[in-house]
Amino acid sequence: MNEAPTLADVAGRIRSLPAMPTVALELLHTLTETDASSADLVDLARRIAQDQAITARVLRVANSPFYGLQSRVASINDAIVVLGFSAVRSLVLAAAVMASLPGGPCTGFSQERFWRHVLGTAAAAQAIGKRLGRPSEALFIAGLLHDIGRLALVVLYPARYAATLAAAREQDRGLQETELAFFGFDHAAVGASLAEHWHFPAEIADALAWHHQPDRGKAGGLAAIVHYADAIAQALDLDESEDSQVARLQEDAVASLGLDWDALLAVLADTQTRFDSYRLMLG
Amino acid sequence: MSDTPDTLRLPLDEVQPGAVLAEAVADARGTVLLPAGLALTEIHLASLRRRDIAMLTVVVPPDPAELARRREEIRERVLHLFRHSADDPAAQALLQAVLAFRQEQAQ
Repeated sequence: MNEAPTLADVAGRIRSLPAMPTVALELLHTLTETDASSADLVDLARRIAQDQAITARVLRVANSPFYGLQSRVASINDAIVVLGFSAVRSLVLAAAVMASLPGGPCTGFSQERFWRHVLGTAAAAQAIGKRLGRPSEALFIAGLLHDIGRLALVVLYPARYAATLAAAREQDRGLQETELAFFGFDHAAVGASLAEHWHFPAEIADALAWHHQPDRGKAGGLAAIVHYADAIAQALDLDESEDSQVARLQEDAVASLGLDWDALLAVLADTQTRFDSYRLMLG
Repeated sequence: MSDTPDTLRLPLDEVQPGAVLAEAVADARGTVLLPAGLALTEIHLASLRRRDIAMLTVVVPPDPAELARRREEIRERVLHLFRHSADDPAAQALLQAVLAFRQEQAQ
């Protein structure tokens, strides 16, 4: 194996990664606009609808029992009318990211499990957010993208990442601390570089960078919620990975969410229901 | 890792009230009469008899020993998942809630 790359090397090579689809980036940037005009929406819907892979994934979820629709929605436009722009925006973003960011071959890395885990984290983050009265969409997106640095490492350094995965499994260590040992930085730092490169909204970038150390993120931001949601997705076995483990939790971050026993049980049930719907996106 | 219950296809006459439908019941034209997951009452059964439904697929209730085994399996799995964090106070609360939730779901 070559010498370990530095974080600056990774940042330099980010350009060589598959491009984030334009539609996904545009959608991300509209996240900070409070009122997109309806003309923009129609235009966006028309452009998304041209991509059949994305449309099919989105419609599978939109027609799942979670949304409880009386009749089937058959187009992105219908979905926006019935579910609202922000719900559809999240789903389209997820479908676009999944369709366009393949992990590439890396021994021991399962793309399927990766997407299951991040969709589970997105579902859990929304479930927590619902209890706290926080807007759902940014939490979904932060959960969806929280481990995206891992995908970048898989693509850019498949051999070293395969060794990292193997060591974590053999020594039964956490993946994040094993990344630190093999690379000198972790997927959260890489996620932060990606967020900068793609100009993600600041609150999403903060969650990507600090979901393992929420005390270093913006106070009251999304990092603490994603931190806990990550653990919930692991604890519910949503990725169906035999050797997964619940990562260490920061007590202050969890306490700041103020979820009591009943709230926590409600969050778990809500997470499972949402996930059962989102997983349809995986086909 | 899903705990799909065993199912049994039975003639309508042998189905007792309280049995839970494993599959939706549809008439000859494919119209759903009763949804899966419904606990059947005597009224449902009478209505199905009137509509000449002959067979039903119901959930086989797990026996207590099987249920206890499944709960233990879940407990071991959850403890395994929390093997590096069970001593964190914050993780402890999550562990207990997840255990309660997953055991409840298995029933």
